[in-house]
Parts: sequence; C-alpha cells; structure tokens
Amino acid sequence: MRTNGRLDGWSAGRLENFLSDLKRICGMPDYPGYLQHMAERHPGSDVLSEREFFEAHVNARYGNGASRCC
Amino acid sequence: MNRILWIVVSLVGAGAWGVIALNRGETINAAWLVLAAVGTYLVAYRFYSRFLARRVFELDQRATPAERLSNGRDYCPTTKWVLFGHHFAAIAGAGPLVGPVLAMQFGWLPGTLWIVFGVVLGGAVQDFVILFGSMRRDGKSLGKMARDEIGPVTGLFAMVAILAIMVILLAVLALVVVNALKDSPWGIFSILCTIPIALMMGVWMRFLRPGKTIEATVAGIVLLIAALVGGRYVALSPTLAPLFTHSGLTIAWGLMIYGFIASVLPVWLLLAPRDYLSTFMKIGTIVLLAIGILIVMPPLRMPALTRFIDGTGPVFAGKLFPFAFITIACGAISGFHALVSSGTTPKMIRREGDARLIGYGGMLTESFVAIMALCAAAALDPGIYFSINAPLAALGGTVESAAAQIRQWGFTVTPEQLTALSASVGEASLLGRVGGAPSLAVGMASIFSGVFGRHLMGLWYHFAIMFEALFILTTLDAGTRVGRFMLQEFLGHIWEPLGRTSWYPSNLLASALITAAWGYFLVQGVLDPLGGINSLWPLFGISNQLLAAVALCVGTTLIIKAGKKRYAWVTLLPLAWLLVVTLTAGWQKIFAADPRLGFLSHARSIADRVAAGSMDPAIAARLIWNDRLDAALAGIFMTIVVALVIASVREWLAVIRGKKPAVVKETPFVESAYAN
Repeated sequence: MRTNGRLDGWSAGRLENFLSDLKRICGMPDYPGYLQHMAERHPGSDVLSEREFFEAHVNARYGNGASRCC
Repeated sequence: MNRILWIVVSLVGAGAWGVIALNRGETINAAWLVLAAVGTYLVAYRFYSRFLARRVFELDQRATPAERLSNGRDYCPTTKWVLFGHHFAAIAGAGPLVGPVLAMQFGWLPGTLWIVFGVVLGGAVQDFVILFGSMRRDGKSLGKMARDEIGPVTGLFAMVAILAIMVILLAVLALVVVNALKDSPWGIFSILCTIPIALMMGVWMRFLRPGKTIEATVAGIVLLIAALVGGRYVALSPTLAPLFTHSGLTIAWGLMIYGFIASVLPVWLLLAPRDYLSTFMKIGTIVLLAIGILIVMPPLRMPALTRFIDGTGPVFAGKLFPFAFITIACGAISGFHALVSSGTTPKMIRREGDARLIGYGGMLTESFVAIMALCAAAALDPGIYFSINAPLAALGGTVESAAAQIRQWGFTVTPEQLTALSASVGEASLLGRVGGAPSLAVGMASIFSGVFGRHLMGLWYHFAIMFEALFILTTLDAGTRVGRFMLQEFLGHIWEPLGRTSWYPSNLLASALITAAWGYFLVQGVLDPLGGINSLWPLFGISNQLLAAVALCVGTTLIIKAGKKRYAWVTLLPLAWLLVVTLTAGWQKIFAADPRLGFLSHARSIADRVAAGSMDPAIAARLIWNDRLDAALAGIFMTIVVALVIASVREWLAVIRGKKPAVVKETPFVESAYAN
C-alpha cells in the first residue's frame, strides 16, 4: 500500500487481471481488454466508448440468441 | 518422476473402482465414487485426449481464428484457463443436475458407470472433435459444417433436429421449474424477484454506470439473497402466502408469458443481466457443492442397483437398457454441446493446442458436476427420494398413503419423516415433485447443512431451487430467441419479410410460435397423470442424443476426409452406441406393449377406459392426441437419425473408395505469431 491511499502497482494490476479474467469467464464485456487490443492491433483508430462497447458486445453475444446448454 | 505420478493416479483410480466393485450390497461412501471418477478423468485426459490431439487431429502451430480475425469482440484470443471457465459455464446447465437424479431410480451404479465411461469415450470426444472442426473453419456452426462436409440435405436435417430439440428441451426444463414451484409461495416469490432484479441490473449497466457489469452483478446477487430470505416470511404470512401460491397450470402459463415477453425485449434489459447472474451463481454453487461433498463425504444410502432396473420404476418407465443412457445425456454425452463447441468458444481459442483442455477437459468437468449431483441424490434416503420423485398419482395425496406405497416398493419411510422433511425446508408438501430439482435441492441442502448447521436447511433448499430455476429461466429466454431466429430463417423462404429479424411483427410472430410450441408440450406435461417427465424426459434424451449423432457423423466425416480413416473408430464407437440406444429407446417409446412405456399402447388403454365408461371422453381425446403426437415426434427423430447416418456413410464410402477426393474444407494454414 502506498501512502497516497491507492493500491500499489503490483496488487492493482493483479486485481485488474482477476476482474478481467472473471468477466471473460462469465461472458461479460471486458472494456480494458478491448482498449488494450485496440492500442496493440489498431493504434490510432477510433475506439468505442465504454457504453458503446457494452452495447456492441451484448448484441454480438446475445443478439442472435446465445446458444447454451441444457 | 512424471511416470511415477501417473502410475499412482492410475492405481488410486483403479483402487477406488475396486472398492466400489467389492462393496456391493453394503453402504459405501461418496468419496469412493468421486475418487474413481477423478482418477479416470485424469488418466483419460493425460493419455486419450493427447492421442486425439496429436495423432487424430494433429493440432499444430497454425494461427487460430481468434488470432487471424481478432476484433476484440467475438473473435478474441483468450487465455487457456479463462476460456476453459467460459466454455464450461456455457455447456453446464440444469441437464447434468437433473438427468443423474432421475436415473437414480435404477440405483447409483448404472449412472456412475455411464457418466464416467460415457464422457471419456463419447461426450468429451464429441465436444473436442466439433471444437477442433469449427476452429479449423473460422468458427463455423455445426449446421454449416454438416452442410459443407456431408451435403445440403444433411445440413437441413441438422437444422430441423436443432429446432425440434430446442422445443422439447425448453418444455421439459420449464416442467422441472413448474414441479419445483407449484404450491410453493417461498419458491415463487424468490423466483419472481429475479425478474425485477435483472431489469434493475440491465438499467444500471446501460444507463447509470455503463459497462460496470461486475458491480451490477454483485449487487444483483445481494438482492437475490435478500429475496431468498424474504421468501420465508412471505411463506409464513397468512396474507401474502396465498398471493404466491399457484397451481402447476398457472405457473406453466406464467412461464409461457414470461418466455414470450423476455424473448422480444432488448437483450441488454433482461437476458444479459440474467445470464451474468446465473453464471456467477452457477460457478459459485458448483464449487460450493464440490467442497460440501468433500467435507461431509456422505454415505450413499441408495442401493447400487434397485429392483426398478426391470422397467417398473415410478419416476419414468423403461428398463435399465436403454433408458439409463437416454435419461442421462448431459454429463455423459450431450449433443447440445456441439452447438457451443461450434459457437462462441472456437472463436476465442488462442492456440490450437488449447482446444484439448477446453474441448475435452471442459466436458470432463461437466461430467464431474453430474457425478456430484448423483452423489447428492444417492445420499438421500431411498424412501425420501421416491416420495419426491414418484408421481402423485402413484403416491396418493397424503404422507400416509405415500409411505404405504413406498413400503410396497421395498423402502422404509414413515409418514412422520415425510412431514418433518417438508416442514424443515418450509414447504407444505414435497410429495410428487417429479423432475429432479427438488430432490437434488434436498440432497444439496442436507450437504450444506452438514457443513453450516441444520437450522438453515430451508434456506439452502430454496437456494438450490432458486439456483436451478434461475438458469432454467435464462435458458427459456435464450432458447426461445434461438428458436425464433431459426424459425425466421425458415419463414423467410416462404415470405421474404418474415425472415427479417429487424421487422417487429415478424419477431413477435416467430416468438409466439416458438413459445406456443414448447408451451404446448409443457401444458401437456403438467396435465399428464403419469407426471409429464415420464413422456417428456425420454423425448428430450432421444432428441439430445440425436443431435450428438449428428455431431459424431460430422466428426467422423472430418476425420475420414483428413485421410485418417484408421482413426475413425474414435467417433464411430460412440456413434454406434448412441444409435443402438436411441433407436431402441425410440422404438420402445412408440411401440412397447406396456401402457406406461409405449405411447401407442397408452393411447389404446385410454380408449379402452372410455369404452368401459370409466373416463371422460373429452379428457381422453386430449390424452390420446398427445400420445400420438409424442409417438410421431419420436418417429420423426428416429427417421432423421437413420437418414443422416445413411447420408454420412455414403459420403464416407465414397471417400474411402476414392470416388471423392479426401479433402477437408479447412481455412489455409497460417503460422501462429504466439510463441510457445
């Protein structure tokens, strides 16, 4: 823990990774992951806002009725 | 060192099977079942899945669709273990929890053997081969692969099969919920609360704090627990309880209205938040159940084999062969998984080699869930098990008549025990709640109370019921939607505007038709004097195994066309077994002379009763019509299986004899940029 009240870099990174993994396991949109993907693969192009990304993700995943098992 | 480890694992697994084999007739502990199952899974994963990955599929260093087509949304390279969790959450639902509990009427041994060996040689192979095939084809669906690799007619059969299984699946799962919730104010209240909770989460994630899915879901779970606790007070309140006490028929209509509305609402409002909630709950509860069983290590009170292997069982009619193998689909082999393995998962695999853990390993994990459900049900007193799972018509309406009937079946239970049990879980009665969910909930509640103390039994029971109902309702919503899209595709060929998924009237019409289809079978099940599960669950099993046969035919075709016909037995073996099981079961359901088993003889027995004047002709006409409908449906399933196998065999022979080139339609090889 740093004195300025924020988690230090190591545990903040850990928490972020854990949340990102949890979201992906549950099929939730992972906005930080998307930003990272855009920065790595399409640098300089426009990115969706968090809300736009949420809508696009939910529509892509459930729009045609998410196949799932019994 | 590694070799020694595997020798130890194999010995432990074999030793556990030895204990199971030698202790016939005595009560043994659930721990032996868990050990034997896990030992077998580990050995199968280490050796058989490696053989499949290296020799049969030759997974290599090529770039996956996720890498080549990465778009940060559906095509998205995902770490192996995360995708494993994601895939598992998508394939595991109510199926592996319900099937093993119903099949418990034969005793715990047949289910255990089928679940463990069926998955190793059948289910996991199916999931793996379809995942592999789809991954090599940019994530193509099962129907498209069937069309491309076998032929257009097969593709059409696959589509019809998928639509039919969807309708039966939704009906039978809805029936499980109806039987769990009828006359249960606590249950109905807590399940009803999930709807506004999901709506609130939807609004939260879209408008209030866009994209903040985790915090919304955690808040949703807290509210869910509050609803669960609140349900107890509703059930105890003389003014509120009657408002939430409803008959099976009313609940069935409620579910239909819900399914229809939910499937035409925007996905962000209800489906997505509900899915997040149920996925969280699913993973949490399954982990909790595993820990609970390991801590409590309950003895299995059900015999290894019961007298009902002769086909006279009260839960559903039919002998051990073939009905144990139809009743347990999910957990051993489930055709439905082929849809997931050719859906979102193949588009997320980061490296080819990961497919082994995700496809084969994911299914082994579902099988493990089925084994735990089986342990929870086998730990129940057999008398209690049959009091919950036999239809009311057999038990009579009172605890005294039920106890007397169960004694006749050769199990001991007193009326006082039955009364005490329903009181401890906060229900008026647990008699005749066929469908698996309530008895599993009692089993889970006993295990959890064994860990946390007995006074919370009622809360755990309703927690388990809510957990199952939650994801069954999610399946109703998602499944109605899938059915709607497929139907719109068909209708579009008749009149083009009906195929437009953006045209609201077409959406409403297609949703209404799909809801009416599963709703029809649901109501039929609710009104069925034999309990509904008796006719619907075998139909579901047959249709699910039919889809598995489609998947295995596609898998065999892929293997043969890749020039590996010497390895075609890996899919032909489970396919042959499924064909024997499905066709025998289908034939018996249609033509068997026993009216409890055969649809047609049941129709005849009803006609005889009308002729003798002992039955209302109007009710009889409905029952006879339903019997004939069910018989026709079973006949259609069998015809599709046979036609499909013939088409596939012709294709295989053409390739083997060199009349057709052995070419697979894979996406060309591109080297992966991911280092090992």
